[in-house]
Amino acid sequence: MRVVIADDETLLREGLARLLEQAGLQVVGKAATADELVRRVELTRPDVAIVDIKMPPTHTDEGLVAAERIRDSHPEVGVLVLSHYVESRYAMRLLEDHPERSGYLLKERVSDVAVLVDALQRIHEGECVLDPTIVSRLIGRPREGSPLDELTARELEVLSLMAEGHSNEGICKTLFLSPKTVETHVRHILGKLGIGAAPDYHRRVLAVLAYLRG
Amino acid sequence: MRRRAVALGISALGVAVGVFTLDVARDDPGYWFAGTSTLAAASLLAAGWALIGCGLGYWLRRPTTLVGPLLCAAGFAWFLPEWNNPGIGSALAFTIGLCLYAACPPLVGHAVLAYPGGRLGSRFERGAVAAAYVGGVLVLGLLPTLVFDPQGQDCNQCPSNLLAVADNGELGSDLDRIGLYVGIAWALALAALAIRRLSRASVWARAVLAAGAAYLGLVAAWFVASLDRGELSNGTLERRLWLIQAATLVALAGGVAWSWVRSRRARSDVARLVVELAQSPPPGGLRDVLAGTVGDPGLTLAYPIDAPGRLVDAQGHPVELDDRREQTTLIRDGRVVAVLSHAPGLLDDEQLVDEVAAAARLALENERLQAEVQARLEELRASRARIVEAGDSERRRLERDLHDGAQQRLVGLSLSLRLASARLAPDTGAEAVASLDEADVELREAIAELRDLAHGLFPAVLADEGLAAAIEALAEDERVPVQIRGLAEGRFAPQVETAAYTVVAEAARASTAGVVVETRRSGHALLVDVETRDDLGLDLVALRDRVGALDGQLAVERDEDGIVTLHAELPCES
Repeated sequence: MRVVIADDETLLREGLARLLEQAGLQVVGKAATADELVRRVELTRPDVAIVDIKMPPTHTDEGLVAAERIRDSHPEVGVLVLSHYVESRYAMRLLEDHPERSGYLLKERVSDVAVLVDALQRIHEGECVLDPTIVSRLIGRPREGSPLDELTARELEVLSLMAEGHSNEGICKTLFLSPKTVETHVRHILGKLGIGAAPDYHRRVLAVLAYLRG
Repeated sequence: MRRRAVALGISALGVAVGVFTLDVARDDPGYWFAGTSTLAAASLLAAGWALIGCGLGYWLRRPTTLVGPLLCAAGFAWFLPEWNNPGIGSALAFTIGLCLYAACPPLVGHAVLAYPGGRLGSRFERGAVAAAYVGGVLVLGLLPTLVFDPQGQDCNQCPSNLLAVADNGELGSDLDRIGLYVGIAWALALAALAIRRLSRASVWARAVLAAGAAYLGLVAAWFVASLDRGELSNGTLERRLWLIQAATLVALAGGVAWSWVRSRRARSDVARLVVELAQSPPPGGLRDVLAGTVGDPGLTLAYPIDAPGRLVDAQGHPVELDDRREQTTLIRDGRVVAVLSHAPGLLDDEQLVDEVAAAARLALENERLQAEVQARLEELRASRARIVEAGDSERRRLERDLHDGAQQRLVGLSLSLRLASARLAPDTGAEAVASLDEADVELREAIAELRDLAHGLFPAVLADEGLAAAIEALAEDERVPVQIRGLAEGRFAPQVETAAYTVVAEAARASTAGVVVETRRSGHALLVDVETRDDLGLDLVALRDRVGALDGQLAVERDEDGIVTLHAELPCES
């Protein structure tokens, strides 16, 4: 898989590049600013661009803006945003408009090669990826008399994976369940939460997230 | 007392001159104006006596200004066009008539432009008045008189001209013609300058200026009408113009008298104000009363406070005085009590200013103290806002430093650790690998804790995405049950967003059972309602400070079920 890395911190950029190369990925470009990233993406047409959310000049959300630019101009290029922010609002800005081939992970995942490579792989395959910490915060937030209380422990696990952007197939693999069982769980969950059957995978993720954020 | 005697003498002289003039005019109605009808006779006397009377009155009240004598002189000059009447009988009166028959318009112009203070304003005004005197008294009067010998001009009935030094009828006519042309110019110039003054003048001075401008316009018309004949004359048109002139002069005198009555009333108004103020002082009420009594709606009343040059209004707001307006300083015991900014010339009556200042002393002092208190409160509020803002920006800076510094380093460290463990020899003991893994877990926990700390200091989402997003993010936090009833969309000023967020976040922090939040716009305010059941740990003083620093209000309501509601109202621009 060919990736481009954008981070204004040299140490992180180079370290991440080495780690990914060791894992067998091909790093075809590195950028320190948002503009440089967009140029690199145009030149090298990578499979996925890895973007730090904070970049010069204001170090707030330039990375998100650059990601949106790439999604608009090169929809075939996947984007993984690495962020310090655990608030779902930032992730939703990325996912809401272009859920396919988009991912939002917390920055500290960079040292967890397995999670990182898995996320890149899923993005490359067209899925969307949301950091498990953000999802568990959304599911764990206190609610009064919520239908979530009626879900079984297993159903909650499945719901988390759905919110993280896993497809049914991915859920099967992760939980070692048969496709049929997963389908039954999904149907029950959507029914209990009152979410209508979504026409496709991406809309289902967004519907679940909208429910959890609401 | 002496002045009164002088005034009485001049009045008597005025009466005599009026009666004498009427007598002359009636003797020979063919010449000049006043002899033809009762209306003409009444107009002659009314205009002349009105000017003399109001001029004397003005002089008695304000002896230092020239306006009174000028008006008085204009009144006498009004009679003089009748005196170059051949049938007058007296050589002295005849000569005076010949010299000064056109002196009235320059005198009226001078008086009107100098009204009410006695000073001419601009270079133009001084130039126009000088030109009028030269044109009216010299070119139309004295110079033709010098070359006019009545006997040489076949006027057998005329008394002799005491000033005649030569007899040159042609030169006399030329001078008359030049005088008429020049007269049209200066009369119109004076009228225009009077009209220009109208806009800046007080309500009371406007009547005088308008009447004066009308009179001078009529004089210009009289000059134009006389151009054909080459000298000032008394045809039917000229007689009509003369009658209207008389009416405008009566109006002018009436205007002067009216403003005098006004200023007397101003004194009693101020006295009444003092009584009113003793009962319930309305802030800013003194300015309104003063503006009403002196007739200048744009009057500004400002009070000096501590720093030199710093002025505030009755509400304590800083005031910048308009440089184009005149300023009068009210001083008491060597200390500036108040500064008035007003229309030029409005308060040239020093006596009135003194009386007003004396009558309004208590009221002024009272309002000045109130203004000072208000100004101090305003300063306090501003400094509170500055302190809150300084604290906020410091928190924001710390939050960024944590994110961009410490947290970034920890992430880098975690990455290095991962790279190092990848380089470990394959035969490294399981213990070493396990302790590296353990260090990595610790590091990630440290990063997460640091993130919480940074968010607690200042939520970046508040600055990046706004109040609604920040409250939503607060609701995502698993420690605090926050139920959202409705959120105002859109952005507000950063300090308003921070204050609103702080109210919600603090209430949530102090609560264990949860809070219900609603924010909405209402006119020029952002309303924040937070319902909570347990507010024991809530620092209401700190929240009040924060809301108060933005001129907002924080109300706390407690119902019988023990539900506490915080209502914060924060002023915002849109």
